Amino acid sequence: MHALLNGFADVLTLYTLAWIGVGVTLGYVLGVLPGLGKATGVAVAIPLTFYLQPVAAIALLIGIAKGSAAGSAVSAILLNTPGEPSSAPTALDGYPMARQGKAQKALKMGLFASVIGDFLSTLLLICLAAPMARYALLIGPVELCAILVFSMTFIGGLSGKSLIKGLIAGAFGVFFATVGLETETFIPRMTFGLLELDDGLPLVPIAIGMLAVAEMIVQAGNMRQLDRETEEIIDGTRPEDRVVLWSDWKRCFAPILRGTLIGSAVGILPGLGASVGSFLSYGATRRASDRPEEFGTGRIEGVAAAESADNAVVPASFVPLFALGIPGSVIAAILIAAFVLHGLTPGPRMFQEQPDLVAAVYAAMLCASVVLLLIGYTGQRIFAQVARVPVRLIIPVVLFLCCVGAWMETGSVFSIYIMLAFTVLGFLAKKLDFSFVTFLIGFVIGPSVELSFRQSLQILDHDWTRMTEHPIALVFIALTVAVLVVLARGRTGGGAVGAVRDTGTTITKGRTS
Amino acid sequence: MKHPDRRSITAALAALAIGALGLVAPAMAEDYPTRPITMLVGYNAGGQTDLVARAAAKVLSDDLGQPVNVVNKPGAGGGVAARELTQAAPDGYTIMFHANSVVNQDPFLMKRITFTPEDFEWAGFITVYQAGLITQKDAPFDDLAGFVAWAKENPGFNYATLSPGARMIMQEIAKKEGLDANYMPVKGGGEMINAILGKQAIMAMSGGIHAKYPDDIKTLAVLTTFRQPSWPEVKSVDEYGYALAMDGRAGLMLPKGAPTEIVQRLSEALSKAETDATFAQVTGAANIPIMYLDAPAAKAEMERTYQEYGDIFRNAGIEPQ
Repeated sequence: MHALLNGFADVLTLYTLAWIGVGVTLGYVLGVLPGLGKATGVAVAIPLTFYLQPVAAIALLIGIAKGSAAGSAVSAILLNTPGEPSSAPTALDGYPMARQGKAQKALKMGLFASVIGDFLSTLLLICLAAPMARYALLIGPVELCAILVFSMTFIGGLSGKSLIKGLIAGAFGVFFATVGLETETFIPRMTFGLLELDDGLPLVPIAIGMLAVAEMIVQAGNMRQLDRETEEIIDGTRPEDRVVLWSDWKRCFAPILRGTLIGSAVGILPGLGASVGSFLSYGATRRASDRPEEFGTGRIEGVAAAESADNAVVPASFVPLFALGIPGSVIAAILIAAFVLHGLTPGPRMFQEQPDLVAAVYAAMLCASVVLLLIGYTGQRIFAQVARVPVRLIIPVVLFLCCVGAWMETGSVFSIYIMLAFTVLGFLAKKLDFSFVTFLIGFVIGPSVELSFRQSLQILDHDWTRMTEHPIALVFIALTVAVLVVLARGRTGGGAVGAVRDTGTTITKGRTS
Repeated sequence: MKHPDRRSITAALAALAIGALGLVAPAMAEDYPTRPITMLVGYNAGGQTDLVARAAAKVLSDDLGQPVNVVNKPGAGGGVAARELTQAAPDGYTIMFHANSVVNQDPFLMKRITFTPEDFEWAGFITVYQAGLITQKDAPFDDLAGFVAWAKENPGFNYATLSPGARMIMQEIAKKEGLDANYMPVKGGGEMINAILGKQAIMAMSGGIHAKYPDDIKTLAVLTTFRQPSWPEVKSVDEYGYALAMDGRAGLMLPKGAPTEIVQRLSEALSKAETDATFAQVTGAANIPIMYLDAPAAKAEMERTYQEYGDIFRNAGIEPQ
């Protein structure tokens, strides 16, 4: 504690705070722009930090990571174009809210949820880095596989009106995830001889195509009606739609805490990433809700759940990095290089060898959370004006941003073709009422399940009786079976009631899922 | 495809303008470079090779007096970027910083990668990869011979495979020694390290990232033909009699047909990285040794290793997939 106070003394200088501000602002803007994410931002900024003092340099990079995780919600809410794939679930409820004239409310709740998730997860890192990391090592591929299979049961809770359609969409997601080099024998699967597909279908163009481009096409179809509504939004903006009311806080309290917990857990487990965290949190909140069918029509809890988890992943992924030297996420892996460059070798020894620097990094992370709140709050006022622009002007801009976003990561036109192909799929999914949330969950989790399952087969030496050596995995398998039984019973028993309630729900703007 | 067209039109217009002034167009290579250079990197931003490439780009740009812009084109272990390089104009303004394995190893593993050393100009190599066979610090053996003896007593051990090349190494050792290995797939260097630290695998092939974990990981044999600077006492896999060593180097390649003067100019600029403080800081942080080879040496190295490594894969019965 004393060390942490000293750390604050190091960080609360104009020099360091200024660089935190630069990092958060840069990250926030990168986050808003689709396709440019924290990984790219940090990688490009590392050479720039050679000229900074160690604390300022690390604070700058952490600021970028935190800022972009929060900024990606802005474009998700305003334009239905997630700035990063991990904000895709934010768009599901944030965008309908924006269409209802509640853009500012959604943006604010998204920011608050981000900052709270981020702050709590950072506190978790500070208090529990060493003890939690020991448990992280208990989670090997066998346990991870069981946990992932369990988390796939969220698909059941997310599939909306028809369980069958949800499962079909989820299965399609897993199917598309199998494209690319097979992990064990390295034989290409369904690449049709295209080198670009060796590493699999890229997530960013798929998410952009299915969510944003498809949405723009649907909107172009009823542009007149939407334009009329936009005018009404300008006229009809009520003050209570611009602020987060106490009643909103009450509804979002549990989703934010749940999202923080899920995000932290996902961050600590290696190899999952922020997308898995935000999708799982959204799914869990929707299933815990008493009115799951209203999700996707502008429920503020959906925004809170997705954003809190998205931001909680980043600090939590430093837990295994700091305690064991094992990166918990892509961003942590990139930051290893930066830490080492600036004299901090992540691992258990850094607490003894560099206690001052560690404390300063912790303090910088906490400061970055506060700075994020300030900068995000200011930035939103500017960005929120977008909701007032007529749809006919927004569509071409968003389509342009989508193309840039899809192109950015790989720098190849091929990604734009992928985006367009999945636009067709996304359009059909919308029109035929197939959930693309379950599709994306299948796509994101599918490869991890396959890899950890194949690893498990080798670890167990193809002998299922050795499962008894993995009690954690057994617990999750039992949970999976229990959830499936409950789901199946709930469907057959309460199906009729659910159907009646569904027809009573007005789904705005033809948005489903 | 539009870019070369536009570029050639611009070049033609420029030539006309110069001709109109009554001047003879000077040899382009002499004042190279007159505009920014694009440097392709076939890995994602933030990876080990990407960071080295960015540090190298800074050295090149300082020496050449023009910006060197890094463009990441990930895919197929660099195959996508290398293919793009072969299609670029050989004017020295599109270059690539990459591991040479994309030419002297990947074609023997992947049917759709058909590069030969003749498809590129080689401007030099600057770093080497300290690939090796690694295990936990507390494993009951200290070198490859000790591991083989242990593995004979413990059939069904787990070997973490990061790449088809990694799988081939253990398959060859297992074939020769009659070992029973399980091949556990891992994705990425970080996960490979996790598999070793978490004791899910007893052995793995590492591309050099294990140098960051000297307290937890030991190297049983290095997979280069030479002893590596980070652990000079560890013998090469060749010294154990397996003939599997392959040297991975990172450096600059250009499209076929780039003028010799330009290749030579880039080779000189790259040599500045040997003594550059920032470059030493970046590579030192990741324990990546600097071993400079100039352009002729790089070309010779590629021609020799393309034959030799091809033989290793063919002798192992590996069919490109």
